[in-house]
Amino acid sequence: MSTVKTKNVQVGTDGTASNNFTIYVPGTPDGTVRIGNGDAGAVTDAVTINSSGAVTLANALTVTGNISTSGTIPAAQLTGTLPAIDGSSLTNLPQPAALTTASGSAPSYSARAWVNFNGTGTVAIRGSGNVTSITDHGTGDYTINFSTAMVDANYSVVGAAGKTSINLISLDTPAGSYTQTISEVRVTTPYVNGTLTDATQVNVAIFG
Amino acid sequence: MDKRIVYKNDDGTISIIVPANCGLTIEEIAAKDVPEGKEYHIVDVSEIPTDRIFRNAWTWE
Repeated sequence: MSTVKTKNVQVGTDGTASNNFTIYVPGTPDGTVRIGNGDAGAVTDAVTINSSGAVTLANALTVTGNISTSGTIPAAQLTGTLPAIDGSSLTNLPQPAALTTASGSAPSYSARAWVNFNGTGTVAIRGSGNVTSITDHGTGDYTINFSTAMVDANYSVVGAAGKTSINLISLDTPAGSYTQTISEVRVTTPYVNGTLTDATQVNVAIFG
Repeated sequence: MDKRIVYKNDDGTISIIVPANCGLTIEEIAAKDVPEGKEYHIVDVSEIPTDRIFRNAWTWE
């Protein structure tokens, strides 16, 4: 078996140089082999392969199939801007055990819904999250309607209510009269004697 | 939102839905939060009294 040795191999014989490719080693060998566009002797490098097999591309890599690797991609190689990726495409992401501001090992939970509203005068919502509306049923009696339903009805309702000049107001969930559901919860704002009253500040948060 | 949704309860009292800034229209909120089968009315907030002393006696004609 004979061996052909050469420094340049031109692939293509078209009269237009850009239609041809050349595989070559540099005039001063540096352990690389180059593949470039053009005729031998006048090549624009496209691919360089070094003696270790590392491949360097002169331009962007376009992949029409999948990319698979048996190893890892070093973070140091991801120096550019990563493309926007739909989060639904990412799998096996670890679930956060705690909010980033939490310390200690106990898990932390965030509110599933919240609302701050004025129950006096023109009843109005000051701010809210996952709430479409509140329903004013009467003096100190409201339903909070969730945008997205809770997982089940066993969530925890926490909150506080206050009124100018009168501090003895509580926030109550009238469990004897109403059953909280996955889509709404009824709350009342009674005085300590149980009489309902309108509060200027009604704050409710839902955990569950 | 300067609109409110009013519906009458079976005992003659009325409930008033106060919309949140949630991205839904007042009609969408009504469709979602008014109890099924209840007739409702969308009104300007200015039509709702601000004196709530007799709130439990309010009716809708």
